[in-house]
Amino acid sequence: MNETIIALDCLTKNFGDLHAVEDLTFAIESGTIFGFLGANGAGKTTTMRMLCGLTHPSRGRASVVGHDAWRERQAVREKFGYVAQRFSLYPDLTVDENMRFFGGACRVPASQLETRLQRLLRLTDLEEKHATAAGSLSGGMRQLLALACALIHDPPLLFLDEPTSGLDPVHRQQIWNLLYDLSHEGKTIFVTTHYMDEADRCTEVGFIRSGRLLAKASPRQLKASFRTRLLELDVDPVMPALVRLRGSREILGVSLRSGALRIYASDPERLMTNWKTNWPFADIKLLDQRWVKPDMEDVFTAYSQRYDGLLTRSTS
Amino acid sequence: MKSISFRAIASVAYKEFLHIYRDRRVLVLLIVLPPLFTFIFGHAFQAGQLTDVPALLINRDKSPGAQRFIDIVSKNKTFHWKQVPAEITDESDLLGHGVKAALVVPAGWSESLQNGDPAPLPFYLDGSDANTADELEGGVRQSLGDFQIDERNVIVDNLPPEVFELGKKLPLEVRHQFVSLMTAWTIKSNVLYNPKERFIDYVVPGIIGLILQLLTVTLMACTIARERESGTLFQLLVTSLGRGEIIVGKILPYLAISSCLIVVIIGLSWWHFNVIFYQPPALALICLLFLLCSLGLGLLISAFSRTQTQAIQFSVFFLLPVFVLSGAFAPLDQLPRPVRYLSEFFPLTHFCRAFRLVNMYHAAPTFYAGDLLVLFAGALVTFVGAAVLLQRTEQ
Repeated sequence: MNETIIALDCLTKNFGDLHAVEDLTFAIESGTIFGFLGANGAGKTTTMRMLCGLTHPSRGRASVVGHDAWRERQAVREKFGYVAQRFSLYPDLTVDENMRFFGGACRVPASQLETRLQRLLRLTDLEEKHATAAGSLSGGMRQLLALACALIHDPPLLFLDEPTSGLDPVHRQQIWNLLYDLSHEGKTIFVTTHYMDEADRCTEVGFIRSGRLLAKASPRQLKASFRTRLLELDVDPVMPALVRLRGSREILGVSLRSGALRIYASDPERLMTNWKTNWPFADIKLLDQRWVKPDMEDVFTAYSQRYDGLLTRSTS
Repeated sequence: MKSISFRAIASVAYKEFLHIYRDRRVLVLLIVLPPLFTFIFGHAFQAGQLTDVPALLINRDKSPGAQRFIDIVSKNKTFHWKQVPAEITDESDLLGHGVKAALVVPAGWSESLQNGDPAPLPFYLDGSDANTADELEGGVRQSLGDFQIDERNVIVDNLPPEVFELGKKLPLEVRHQFVSLMTAWTIKSNVLYNPKERFIDYVVPGIIGLILQLLTVTLMACTIARERESGTLFQLLVTSLGRGEIIVGKILPYLAISSCLIVVIIGLSWWHFNVIFYQPPALALICLLFLLCSLGLGLLISAFSRTQTQAIQFSVFFLLPVFVLSGAFAPLDQLPRPVRYLSEFFPLTHFCRAFRLVNMYHAAPTFYAGDLLVLFAGALVTFVGAAVLLQRTEQ
C-alpha cells in the first residue's frame, strides 16, 4: 500500500518571466486521496499538466507510476485518467458514444469494453441517460460522465482538476462518494479543489502558493500545525467591528463565520486579556468570546494569506 | 513508440464521422453544394465565345460602298448593333449609351478607299475587360476583311478587257503569283487534345479541384481547432492515442466523403456535360493524392490555429490566391514568370495539370509523374507538420 506512485523532483515550469511552478519536490503514496490546494494562478493546473505529460517541465522531473512523466508520456498515459477543469467531452456525441470513443482511444479490449461501460454507467448513475447527447446533460452529470470516461481503461491513478467547481451540493456529494469508492478499490486520486470541506475529505493535502509548496500533510496534521488557538468573538454590530479589527496592528486577519468573528493573531491570549479589561470600541458590544479549533478553511487562509506567525511549518 | 492500433484509429474516425453526421447544416452543405457548383460552374464556363455584345453603329457616309460594309458588319454575330442617327457627337460615351463598343463610318470613307488612301474606321472600345476588347476588335477586323475581299472581287470583275490582255503577256509564274496574291491565304488547323474545342473539357479538373479544395481545407481546418478551443484536445492527448493515430483517424472520414463527392462531380460532368473520362485508375490516383495533400493542408492550418475562427481566416487567405493563380480556369501561361513559380506551391496547380495531361493529352505517366510526386510530398509534409504542431498545447 505504501509504495510511491507520484514523485516530483525539483519540478519547475516557467512561462517566460512567470514562474508558474518552482522546485516542487514531494511524493504521493498509492491509495492516497491527495488534495492539491491553492488560490487561482498558484500553479495547480500547471503542475497537474506536467504530471500528465501535457506540458514540458522547464526543469526537474516527475515520475508517475514508475515512468518519467514527460519522456515516457506515452507509457504513462495508460496508467492514469484525467478529468479537466472545463467540460471537455464531445457535446454532440451521446453518453454512450463518448465512453465508447475513449474506450477505443485508450485501447480497452473490445471483449471488456461492454462490461466496463455498463459498470461505469451504473456507478455514475447515468444508465437512463446513455443515449442523451453529452451537451444536454446537467453540469453534475457531465462531470460524472467525464469521470466515467477517465475511468474507462481502469487506471490505477486519477487526476481531477477542480471536478466539483460550480456544482450543486448534491452532485458534489455524489462525486465524492464515487471518489471514496474508487479509493477503496485501491486507486490513487490527485484532486485540485477550492472547497475547504473537500480538502477535509482528502487523506493528504498539499498547499501551493506562487508555484511553491508550503505544506503537505494530512488535514488533521495541518490543523494541528497552528501554533496558537483561534479566538472567536460575538459582537454587535458585526460589520463595523470586522472592518475596525482588520485595521488593528496586533491582528493579522479577521474572518466572519456564522455571524461570529474569527481572529487570526500571533498572540491571541494577550488580546483576550486586554479586551476583557479594556474593549477598545465603545460603540460595539462585545457579547461573548471563546476558543475554537482551526478548520481547513483557517488552514487555507493562514497559508494563502501568509500568516506565517500562526503556523509551524509542516511538510511530511 | 508502441504499435499503431487500428481500433484506436477507427474510434477516432467514427467519432469524426459522428461530428459531421450530427452537424446537419454542414451535412446538407456537403450533399447539395458540390453538384450545384458543378452545374453552375459548368454552364458558366461553357460559352466560350462572345455573342450579341451591344454596340453602336454610326454611319456618316451615305454612299452605296459604305452601305455594303454596313450590311456585312450587321451580320456579325459578335455584335448586337444599335443604329443611331449620324448626327450624334457623343459616340465615345459608351457607358451613357449602354454599349461595349462604338463603330463609326466617317463621312467620305468610301471615297477615301477609292482614292487609294483608305481612312481608318474609328472604333471605340470598352477596355475595362481586356479580353472582351480584344475579341470585339477581332470581330470588326473580320467583317472589314470580308468587305475588302468583296470589294476587290467587284473591282476585278469590272476591269476593262485590256487589262486581261495585258495580263496574258506576263510570264506564267508571275501570273500564278498574282492569282495567289488575290486569294486569301489560309491555314488548315488540326486541333489536337481537345478537337471539339470544348471549354468544359478543359475546366472540369478546375471545377473538381475548386470544390474539393474549398470543402476539404475549410472543413478539415476546423477539426483540430475545434478540439483545441473546447479543451477536448487535452482529453485526446492524455489518452494512449498516438499523434499519428489522431491524424489518420481525423483524415479518414473526410477522405471517404470527398472521394464520394468527386464521384458525384465526375458523374454529373459525364451525364450532363458529356465529358469523357480517360484512364479512370490514373485519374483516381491523381484525385487521391490531391485529396490527401488538401486534407493535410487543412490539418496543418488546423493544428496551427488556436481557434476555429482563426482556422477559417487562415483557410480563406490560403484559398483566395489558389483559385486565381492555380490555372484552374485560365492557362498558367498568362501569368508572369515569378507568379508561375508561386503557383507551383499550390496542390490545385499540380492536380489540374496532371488531370489534363491524362484526360485531354492522354499522356504517358512520365509526363505527370513530377506532379504526382509534388502532391505526395505535400501530403507527407503537411501530415508530419500537423503531427508536430499538435504537440503545441500550452495555452
